[in-house]
Amino acid sequence: MERISVHQFITLGAAVLMGTTFLPVASIVTGVGGRDGWMSVLPGFALGIPYSLMILSLLEQYPSNNLLQISETLFGKLIGKLIGSFYILVAGYLGGLLLGQVGDIYQASIMPLTPLGVFYLGGIILVLLLIQSGIEVFARFSEVIFPLIVIALFLNIVLSIPRIEQGELLPILSEGFKPILVGAFKVMPFPLTYIIFLAGVIAFLPTGEKELKQLKSGVWRVVFMVGILDMLIVIIQILVFGPTETVRLVYGLLVLGKMVEISRTIAGVESVFLGVWFGAAVLKIGSLFFATNWGLEYVFGLKGIKWRLSLCVVFLGIAFRYVRGPSLILEIGLVDEYLIMPFVAIWIPALWGVAHWKKGVGIGRKETRSGGKG
Amino acid sequence: MNTKLKRSYKIAPVLLCISLLFISGCWGKREVENLAPLIGIGFDLGEKPGTYLVTQQYARPKKGGSSGAEILQRTLGAEASSVREAFETVSKGAYRTPFMGSLKVIVIGEDFAKAGGFNDVLDFAQRFAEFRRSMYLVLARGRAEDILNLKLRSEHLSAIYINYIIEGGNELSTFPTVRLGHYLTVLGRQSTAPILPVVKSIKPGEGINYKAEKSGEAEELQIQGAGVLRGDRLVDFLNDDETKGYMWLENEVFNRFINTVDLEETTVKFSGQVLKSKTKYKLHTNNESKELYYQIKTSIAIDEIIGLNKQLSGTEWVKLAKEAEESFAKVIEKECEGAIKKQRELGQDFLGIGRHIEQRDPQYWKTIKDQWEEEIANFPVSLDVKVTVHHTGMSSSSATNSGGEGQD
Repeated sequence: MERISVHQFITLGAAVLMGTTFLPVASIVTGVGGRDGWMSVLPGFALGIPYSLMILSLLEQYPSNNLLQISETLFGKLIGKLIGSFYILVAGYLGGLLLGQVGDIYQASIMPLTPLGVFYLGGIILVLLLIQSGIEVFARFSEVIFPLIVIALFLNIVLSIPRIEQGELLPILSEGFKPILVGAFKVMPFPLTYIIFLAGVIAFLPTGEKELKQLKSGVWRVVFMVGILDMLIVIIQILVFGPTETVRLVYGLLVLGKMVEISRTIAGVESVFLGVWFGAAVLKIGSLFFATNWGLEYVFGLKGIKWRLSLCVVFLGIAFRYVRGPSLILEIGLVDEYLIMPFVAIWIPALWGVAHWKKGVGIGRKETRSGGKG
Repeated sequence: MNTKLKRSYKIAPVLLCISLLFISGCWGKREVENLAPLIGIGFDLGEKPGTYLVTQQYARPKKGGSSGAEILQRTLGAEASSVREAFETVSKGAYRTPFMGSLKVIVIGEDFAKAGGFNDVLDFAQRFAEFRRSMYLVLARGRAEDILNLKLRSEHLSAIYINYIIEGGNELSTFPTVRLGHYLTVLGRQSTAPILPVVKSIKPGEGINYKAEKSGEAEELQIQGAGVLRGDRLVDFLNDDETKGYMWLENEVFNRFINTVDLEETTVKFSGQVLKSKTKYKLHTNNESKELYYQIKTSIAIDEIIGLNKQLSGTEWVKLAKEAEESFAKVIEKECEGAIKKQRELGQDFLGIGRHIEQRDPQYWKTIKDQWEEEIANFPVSLDVKVTVHHTGMSSSSATNSGGEGQD
């Protein structure tokens, strides 16, 4: 069985957690928290830590198993398969929608006349190639792409500094903490989508004692790295656009990219940012493709290239169903908030709770037996 | 290596070759020589109700020019109900496709601005992806069409010339620099009234003397003063001094020329250049009432002294420099007070005082924000201007005639 290293887990995790979150995050949190919206980002992402730690603790108990297999072991076949089916549905549906978003962004920003299908096909072919190459190649791809994403984002932030408007972050906390908490709630689907991928990828993680420790500290690093980067993105957008405009702009970061000018000679570098963003989108869609594929494999035993090609068709079908940009963005929000968030929010703690309860019962029985013998 | 992997390595190049077909160049590809770079765009009221005249200024590279940068203008206008419609009309008569990414300036005609509703035409500029929010907005004294059609003596395109003046504006700091993005941000603040710089054509003798090729026609441009908007409707213009006051209070002064020629109380007049300036503000509470307190700290270098008819000793020279500081401070105060007075008269918060209050005391702001327009006229504002003369140029005393000749 393929294995990925701790370093690969961290970069892949960060790339998947970040995914395309840097595009809608500012509009989402500012819409709820106004000027203080940026404070919601880290608390929202922090939710990913306990969930990731619960999953790693399950990995300790059930090495080389993914959460779908563990669910079947703990909840029984029927419930396990029901969970697995839902897992396949949400991961596949969101993957298809994000594929659709690739077309929406490119067509709205730099390639208005290119048919949507070209973006969809280009994206899905790349995803399929990565899937066929296996999780290790996918992880290596993220090791190459993720640093580029981070550099591009930093450049976008730094080069936007000359466009900052005076005092747009002030006053701080004028509406108290409530909007920040509501904003954090809106961010929570981001880490929980990452959990969907983590639920499957744990089967490929090393299970040695030392590695498990590194994985646990890696989770903290992943969440804070991505959380801080997204927070900086929100801050720069509020500073440049003000809160009202930040909410109004669909892809604020792309608008920032369009405003970048270096010495009045270099402008229009948004295409470079978009190129890097494509890599981020492929990683995110790829992770959801992997998740759906694992689901099909472990729940229904559907393996092989023909099922992967079928999955490509499904992804394309979903993308083509949402050719209207506003409906697509709304749908992504709804799936995040009303499907993935409640599903993951309940599934993981329930699984972890049952696993620990069973472990406790097992230990108790052993102790009773050994006590009886003594 | 397993067979599956081997097979996928064979398939991958094929798929990659196929994907070459999908490279963006195949769709929507536009050769640069087929593009007409849009440099300026102007909006005026149309003759028919509900329409506007959209004037588009394109750059056209000069054939056989001595350098590649030489360009000719091609300015076309069309009356339409929407900006897209105007572009369509103009495109029917042009063989090149308009490219909006090069747009530098949007000029809004005076009548159109007074009629209001130009946010509707700006919607195209902020929505269509080719545009950038970094383009400049200016108000025209008169018609935007006339400004863009102006044949300048410098042979620059009007839009490019306006762009040059604005980008050199930091050295003058006498008018606000308003990019589309900034304008939209200010609109979002709600309590603050947007402000735009004013561009006007200058005939010979109207402040600048020059010899025009055609007598009686303007061949020069100038940006001076500003227009105050309520939403997207022009309510009034600020004169040069009021605009300069706005610049001080908004902490927008970088370098500037300043003189005390109009101060009646002094006989010796000074001119100088602002080296740096910083404006801070605080919200003071006096007996339960609030007051916005501006503190302006400026460093100036004296460039010119007029009316100094005798050689000064070292101590006299120090005293004179201090007098200069007081005189400059009075000029700055006068300009600021002019802006504050205008704000009170108009009842429009173009100085962003409401926003300053919100930043300093959000709870207090919540109690007054709903009746802020009525409060503007009476809200107490105080000023403290501190000027430091860093140096007096390359000489101390001015040159004077020898003993009594030509002197008083």
